[in-house]
Amino acid sequence: MIKRSFFALTRPRLGYDTPEPDPKEPKAIPVPSNLILLLHDPLDDARETFIKKGDKVEKGRKLHLYKDSKEYTISPVAGTIKVIDTYSDDFGNTSTYLVINTDQGLTAGTDDVKYELKDTIASADEYLRTLPGAPPLKTLADPDIKIDTIVITCADPDLLSTTHQYMALKFMDGIKEGIGVLKRITNVRKFCITIPENMNIKDEIDLAQVFRTSMIYPANLPQMILKDHLNMVLPAGKTPEDMGICFMSAEAVVSLARAYKTKTACHEKVLTVIGKQGTPYRVTAVIGTPLRRIFNAFSIHVNDHDRLVIGGPMKGFSTYTVHHPVQPDTDTVIVQDRDNIPELSDNPCVNCGKCVRICPAYIPANILVRYLEAGLYQDAADRYDLLSCIECGLCAYVCTARIPIYQYIRLGKHELLKLNADA
Amino acid sequence: MNNNKLIVSHAPFWHDGDSLFTLNLNLMIAALPAVIFGLVQFGMPALGVLALSLSSAMVWEYVITLLSGKKASIHDLDSAVIGLFLGMMLPATAPWWMVITGTFLAVVIGKMIFGGIGANPFNPTLIGMAILALSWTTLLDFDAAYVNYDFDFTALAPLAAVKAKGALAVSDLFPLNDLMMGKQVGAIGTTFGLGLIIGGVYLILRGFVRWEIPVAFIIGIVFTSFCFNLVNPDKYAAPMIHLFSGYTLFGAFFLATENSSSPVNRIPMLIFGFCAGLIILLMRNIGVYEDGTVLGILLLNLVNPLIDTIRPKALGKGVNHA
Repeated sequence: MIKRSFFALTRPRLGYDTPEPDPKEPKAIPVPSNLILLLHDPLDDARETFIKKGDKVEKGRKLHLYKDSKEYTISPVAGTIKVIDTYSDDFGNTSTYLVINTDQGLTAGTDDVKYELKDTIASADEYLRTLPGAPPLKTLADPDIKIDTIVITCADPDLLSTTHQYMALKFMDGIKEGIGVLKRITNVRKFCITIPENMNIKDEIDLAQVFRTSMIYPANLPQMILKDHLNMVLPAGKTPEDMGICFMSAEAVVSLARAYKTKTACHEKVLTVIGKQGTPYRVTAVIGTPLRRIFNAFSIHVNDHDRLVIGGPMKGFSTYTVHHPVQPDTDTVIVQDRDNIPELSDNPCVNCGKCVRICPAYIPANILVRYLEAGLYQDAADRYDLLSCIECGLCAYVCTARIPIYQYIRLGKHELLKLNADA
Repeated sequence: MNNNKLIVSHAPFWHDGDSLFTLNLNLMIAALPAVIFGLVQFGMPALGVLALSLSSAMVWEYVITLLSGKKASIHDLDSAVIGLFLGMMLPATAPWWMVITGTFLAVVIGKMIFGGIGANPFNPTLIGMAILALSWTTLLDFDAAYVNYDFDFTALAPLAAVKAKGALAVSDLFPLNDLMMGKQVGAIGTTFGLGLIIGGVYLILRGFVRWEIPVAFIIGIVFTSFCFNLVNPDKYAAPMIHLFSGYTLFGAFFLATENSSSPVNRIPMLIFGFCAGLIILLMRNIGVYEDGTVLGILLLNLVNPLIDTIRPKALGKGVNHA
């Protein structure tokens, strides 16, 4: 955890981490006997599911919860479905999880399911949504969303993670190939690529416009890339997709290229695991691997009252179980020892102004948090720029009174969305 | 299956380690040079005033939280800071009941009835001081307070002397060096100009105080007194006398910068500091008070919410939808 420096005349600067210059091969975690897959489709007790407990699945098989489901997941192994149950996330949204028991005998004997991939985005979206890196194929294939620019991120958006940078260092050829595939299957003409300013990329990248991004957080967040490099200010409350810009991780592009080459999906996700002492480990694990398996491989002991963070320290989320699976978009896993968990408080704002000075979106967070505490979400949005927030978490990081400001902001946005949906 | 009970909470999972306790502790540490000098200069009575002031302020806060059934909050040291600052602004001869009344006014009327820390529209210390100064003017008269002391420098409060006799008559009595080194009559913790500057610079460098306010405040004092001095040097004192006497430096670094009653945006902070300096000089030179610091800063606290509405446009606001 980066603490405040002794002298703090200027605002704190949180630097992104960089991978070692010549990264070693990641440690491969063996395929566990039970894999957990998440399906973004809520379970409905009244309906009969399409997949059932006890069903045999092949490696690479598409799994729908119901016959008409739009959402799917791909089984990374051959095996048997053991459990189908409801999973709820930190905002109470429900989805479904499947436990697949790996059938060792079947895995050895059978080949992967081959896909009939055509050079259209619809065809890619049909099979490749859950590739490692979670390519945003659903957005690209949506006829209602006009995407004219794809930004490929070789710079990790959050702190501590080096997964994107590792992919860029090791698989630049794959990224180029992936851009070729994307050019073929989409109508998008403009490709950009973000590369950290201190990263040495040997070969020229002529297929895409290169953005050299700053090493100081939050320069790699989508909104900041739009502002700094595309000279585009995101209107409050809009997403980059609304502006026709789609962000895609380096890993997603690489796995897309591989999938088109082999006509099968790959399932090995690269992740950065940060141990309790802050030691980074680089790992490849099959999607669906419970995190516990990874911790066992590095002898990281998770005790009561520790915290498991998926994603970075500023924007990630914490999970309540060590059995949480590796997902297509899991770039970083952090284990925080209970002694290192900073305490929050219910103090009121004392108006010290640190949040106002650090906010990259110039939001008056000191006033905003007063409105949010009182539950006046609409006023907060109308008068104190709630929707301009780019969700970097710096306000809560510096707060002297230790108010969970970012949490209030997320809650405010969530409630406002709900209010507007009901209206 | 092992099922650990994990902590689940919301991002960000890091914190820079600051807290109200460290903030207030550092405010008190920064005040130490001036406090120690005051103790040496004015002796045991000064220690008595400071100890009583600091402790009674904390007791008042504790009593109020107890009565109102709220969680005790004295461990954040906010009332300790209020008590210490109030004690520093009193003469060493202040009677015990005045100290206790002062901390009651500061902590209870100035802070707790508005809802506690962060909710006070005015600087609590100044609320206490203003009411004391209006109620017992003679007890806060520094010339009268120290009649039994034997100093090796001019035993006259500089600002009162300037007010009574004009700048020309007293020009030789207060060499700048003496004023800066604390050789002047005044409150316990506000006479040692150099110590206050050291404390203030410490707070600014460590980021506990926003530099814009003290800098603009001092510019306001120097600029306004320079203008007055230019017009009538016989009557109005030179900038340095104003800067190093009375509560001026204490006000600049410790009072005007009180978080909850001062602005946070850059331009408002500059306006706030400069106007506070300007009002103080107007009170000193034109008004009836010798030292307008207390009322001057309170007046600016009043307009703080208004001037703090000058702020940069948030990202993505007012953008034409393409």
